[in-house]
Amino acid sequence: MYKWFFAWRYLHTRLIALFGIISVTLCVAMVLIVLSVMGGFLDTLRERARGLLADLVLDAGLLQGWPYYEEFDAYLQGQASDIVGTTSPVIHNYGILRVPSSNYTKPVQVAGIKLDSYPKVNDFRRSLHYEKYYPGSTTLAPQRQPFAGFHDDKLVLPEALQEANARWRADEKDSKAIKEFDALPYALAPSPGPRVYEAHPDGPVYDGDEWPGIIVGNDVINRRESDGSTLRFFPRGSLMVLTLVPITPAGNPLGEQPVKLFTRQADDSRTGVYEIDSRCVYVDFDMLQHALAMDAQPHADGGFTAPRTTQLLIALKPGTDLHAAQARIRGVWEQFLLSLGERPTADEMQALRWVDIQTWEDMQRPFIAAVEKEKVLVTFLFAIISVVTIVLIGCIFYMIVKNKTRDIGILKAIGASNRGVATLFLVYAGAVGVVGSILGIAIGAVFVWYINDIQALLIHLNPKLRVWDPSVYSFDTIPHIVKIVDAVGIAVVAVAASIVGALIPARLAGKVWPVEALRYE
Amino acid sequence: MSKPAALLQAWSVHKTYLLGRVEVPVLRGASLGVQRGEFVVIQGASGSGKSTLLHILGALDLPEKGTVTFDGRNLFAGSPAARERYRNRDVGFVFQFYHLLPELNVLENVLVPRLTGQSFWSWQVARGGVRRETEAMLERIGLADRAKHRPAELSGGERQRVAIARALINRPTVLLADEPTGNLDAVIGGEILDLLVELNRAGQTIVMVTHDAGVAARAHRRVVLKGGVIQEG
Repeated sequence: MYKWFFAWRYLHTRLIALFGIISVTLCVAMVLIVLSVMGGFLDTLRERARGLLADLVLDAGLLQGWPYYEEFDAYLQGQASDIVGTTSPVIHNYGILRVPSSNYTKPVQVAGIKLDSYPKVNDFRRSLHYEKYYPGSTTLAPQRQPFAGFHDDKLVLPEALQEANARWRADEKDSKAIKEFDALPYALAPSPGPRVYEAHPDGPVYDGDEWPGIIVGNDVINRRESDGSTLRFFPRGSLMVLTLVPITPAGNPLGEQPVKLFTRQADDSRTGVYEIDSRCVYVDFDMLQHALAMDAQPHADGGFTAPRTTQLLIALKPGTDLHAAQARIRGVWEQFLLSLGERPTADEMQALRWVDIQTWEDMQRPFIAAVEKEKVLVTFLFAIISVVTIVLIGCIFYMIVKNKTRDIGILKAIGASNRGVATLFLVYAGAVGVVGSILGIAIGAVFVWYINDIQALLIHLNPKLRVWDPSVYSFDTIPHIVKIVDAVGIAVVAVAASIVGALIPARLAGKVWPVEALRYE
Repeated sequence: MSKPAALLQAWSVHKTYLLGRVEVPVLRGASLGVQRGEFVVIQGASGSGKSTLLHILGALDLPEKGTVTFDGRNLFAGSPAARERYRNRDVGFVFQFYHLLPELNVLENVLVPRLTGQSFWSWQVARGGVRRETEAMLERIGLADRAKHRPAELSGGERQRVAIARALINRPTVLLADEPTGNLDAVIGGEILDLLVELNRAGQTIVMVTHDAGVAARAHRRVVLKGGVIQEG
């Protein structure tokens, strides 16, 4: 009992223990902040990266794509309907995006998607800007440019958009979101500068030629400010031209001239992953397939080639085990290849042989792994710093033991054992660790919860003090979630580290010879 | 009629200290027997080994040669745990410089030996009774009103009373006192001595080291340590 009694008494009467508590507190708070921010960063990244793909992806990694995807889709639904939900083909290619009104040009990655099925296999719809505020208005079908105009002295959009926005306002529960919308810089004048709709002298109308829609990655054409807001310089419906190079099934460029696709900007997409938002544009799958000559093309022998895609996204039914489904669908794919018999040409067979069924994690692994390694590295660096705390605790307890040598002698004179005295100091160190951990977790958690407010305050004091630039990280705010498992884990390690730090001093205390200690003054 | 077997018996105890590189033999075969209820005083010149012998009798130090028995048991043949139990239950120490624990108040200082012998759970059961017993002990030594005071707030005589109370709280068979009045003035020292004599009259066995012939005169028996051996005074 005396071990607990003295540990508690020393804890709140010895000033030196306070230094130990402070060092554990700071160390725990520091590690918790780093783990929470880095972990939050990684989780957000993973969630967003996953949101762009689907549970499983059939991909050959070839620009020219692979054929028979429609037949496989039907075959898969027949063989594995119990686990397969929605599927959606996607074509990936590269091109040049040009905005004729300003000669703005940029290399882009072009994704051909089916807007009816693609948002069902992932979170793409959530990334759309105009679709959020004007639900149902974003389409990749041919469209004209919407213009704003005056009606009863009020600037209004065409009726369909006005109604869509009214629907959103009525359904939106979050008053903050409505405030955010109202604060958007909806400059309508046809002058240079940020604007989202162009104004028209004839009032709110749809005008111009009809062109297919294009959804453009947020960072391809817009500018993200350091406060996280987005400046849009091209009004909705702007004409955009895509220049593409079709490729034959064998991977050679088709024809001598690249293909031009005239489109109108239907929306912009912000997935939150900069590498995607700064490169990708999305057009209609069938249109892109046709433009790239990946649809059924006439054969020299009078037949037609099989249409091609570069990916087939598969959303699994809820509750399906991802890796078990991957293995099963790999088997279905092998059966499917056998069922094709002699139908594929040599080039098509080559492409089919490259197809692999990957999970979304496999697809994003190089990307996520880099951040994971960064997290491990930072955690490792802070773990090294934590070793300093262990050494510090060791030094503090060495001083305490030296300082308490006479007390140790007295305790031994009244019957305390060597092990008991050593345990007393380990309990004491553990108590320092527990108190330090509780304070550290409290401070760290409060810091993480208010990290964005703290940054806002720093920016208010001096804009140069901004540490998290949303234009770089793509996230508007610093991740601010504290996981209980992280906090508990850090606390356990901190208490253990405190005890480890006190091991040598505690052993020395246990070995104190009572007669020598009583002479010690 | 033969003498009864001694309660505490040292047999030909040897002890040497190293002063730098020089070995200084302090005890060269000291033997001493203490009967139950006896009040024995050990005297001798400074550095003669009085305190060393007392420490060995209390199992605070180890002899190089010789044995010490308590109630017929060889203290140094047993395990360290047995010696720890002996220090906790069978003997109580009173030191010249009191050796109270500065962070604890008077009450806590007195009950520390009780704490030392208890597990966390057994203490939860026993604490009420121990507290009452400790308060009664403080009453007995006249310090009931000082229970919440820290040692730094007490006089020398009061501190020594607390030290005596601490030594007696586990009702040890033998009280070992090392110059208990050596740091006190004559009046206060006399009061402490009176307390020890009173305890002895109540049956407490006491072995005391002292320089003071006047103090020694109050004991049943006086022995002198000279040349590392005990000579009856």
